[in-house]
Amino acid sequence: MKLRSSRIVLYLGVAATCAVLLFPIYWLFVTAISPPADLRSLPPRFWPDVPQWQVFSRIAEERPMLLWLTNSTLAALGSVALSMTVSVFAGYALSRFRVRGGQSLGLFILTAKMLPATLLVIPLFGIFRSVGLIGSLWSVVLAHATLIVPFTTWMLKGYFDTIPRELEQAAMVDGCSPLGALFRVILPVATPGLAATALYGFVLSWSDYAYARTFLTNAQQSWTANLGITTMKGEYVTDWNEISAAAVFVALPILVIYLFLERYLVGGLTAGAEK
Amino acid sequence: MSTQSIPAQPLAARAPGRRRRFGLDLARPSRRHWLGYLLLAPAVLLIALIIVYPLFISLDLSFQNVGIARLDQPRRPFTLANYERLFTSAEFWMACWVTFKLLVIVTGACFVLGLATALLVNNRFRGRSIARLFVALPWAVPEVIAVVIFAWIFDSSFGLMNWLFITLGLTSQTINWFSDPDAAFAVVAITMIWKGYPFVSIMALAGLQSIPEDFYNAAKVDGANAWQRFTNITIPTLMPVLGVTIVLVMLWVFRDFSIIYVLTGGGPLKATQTLSIMTYEQAFGFFKMGYASAVGIVTLVLCVLASLLMVGRRAEAMY
Repeated sequence: MKLRSSRIVLYLGVAATCAVLLFPIYWLFVTAISPPADLRSLPPRFWPDVPQWQVFSRIAEERPMLLWLTNSTLAALGSVALSMTVSVFAGYALSRFRVRGGQSLGLFILTAKMLPATLLVIPLFGIFRSVGLIGSLWSVVLAHATLIVPFTTWMLKGYFDTIPRELEQAAMVDGCSPLGALFRVILPVATPGLAATALYGFVLSWSDYAYARTFLTNAQQSWTANLGITTMKGEYVTDWNEISAAAVFVALPILVIYLFLERYLVGGLTAGAEK
Repeated sequence: MSTQSIPAQPLAARAPGRRRRFGLDLARPSRRHWLGYLLLAPAVLLIALIIVYPLFISLDLSFQNVGIARLDQPRRPFTLANYERLFTSAEFWMACWVTFKLLVIVTGACFVLGLATALLVNNRFRGRSIARLFVALPWAVPEVIAVVIFAWIFDSSFGLMNWLFITLGLTSQTINWFSDPDAAFAVVAITMIWKGYPFVSIMALAGLQSIPEDFYNAAKVDGANAWQRFTNITIPTLMPVLGVTIVLVMLWVFRDFSIIYVLTGGGPLKATQTLSIMTYEQAFGFFKMGYASAVGIVTLVLCVLASLLMVGRRAEAMY
């Protein structure tokens, strides 16, 4: 009997925790599909009588939502491609080779994670201005690489550490060059790790606001989704259902990635924690 | 971190014909470290170009009287004026105080909430994996989106929170959350806690799972009650993970820009202006990039000092 009641308490506790913590996400969604009149009525309605599903197609037509999403995607793909290219080699080198300065590079990457974006954004602004990159998506691609490279390099080093080195030694005995062993043996084995790392980088880039705000504000055609959304938030009046619908568009890809690939993403995040 | 062992010997047993094809045989053990450097080169180059060089520039800028940073203009004369102005300005000390308050409140709450959630869903029950997925969901919500959500919940006219407060009889009038300094600070803190706690619970869950069941069974045999098992097994084993996690959360609060900037812009009356926001405002609001760089450099130094103090010699664990 005691066991029974303690289980009920447990289920209630879990349900209550989930409800409280997830409510803001639910509320965003409900706000998006509520008619504007509902949002100005008290007490609030927790589910609209007539869900306004057309709000999503409306903001896709009336606002440059698709352009923003495309820009965000391009920026994320570009910065992830750039970061992954250098990180795969660097992570492999740090995992497998005795490199002088490897330790200090590691320490440096650690400090790079501590760099405030608001500090780095100032000189980057100066540099991009003098080479004419302000207003171009390339500025954001490069800037996001500053966020991504420190993470991906260490995540990949961690993954490579878990792959037994006998694997590439066997390949090299069979006549593979060291690079051949990396490409033909190690990378295929590390595919889940590579995918998780790339996704993590994608999330970092997709969520950025500081760099986009600084480099792209005056170039509406290159606005990323996060930047675009903040322009919908008025100082006095905001169309809460429209901005919420836009927010759903932006949050959805990341939430889907998270729900389906949680194991991989979290695995990368906590790789250091389980040591 | 025992990753740097010497490459295996059988490499030398490769066909001599192939070796001659490359001028430099990178597979030979004596040359193998060259390959290491070669593989590191692109990353080092990229980091040098987009992190080290800019960092050097901002250090340089902080010693000049510069409005808008331009690289094509000659360097201004060296001056300490930015730092002098900084340490005598009330705004800077105010920003330090706001940052400190936010650090303590957000990190503390994230820690307690994250650990409690992790312990809760670490129990065995049906639907556990779904519950685990859900409690960490806010981690995947972009910061700007979190701001949209909470700006609406705390809206002064039709926000949910005002309705709740009035219904519960806590206030008789609607609160204008974003024009009252304390209220605005509370909204910023709540948004950051909601966005930040899942990271703690993800890390704590990973740590909890690495504790062997045997520890608990042995303790049970010895007659330890649940609380004793928690304080004598769970907490000590989790401590290394939690220590690193706390530092990472602190660093996040220290440097966060999006949440505060989009939610309040640092206002009202600079009540939510952290060092990070002050750096940005000085640089891109007032176009005093020299002064802003000085604020940023001080922030960075504080970040490094704080994390060294917290993690100390175990800094390696943060990788």
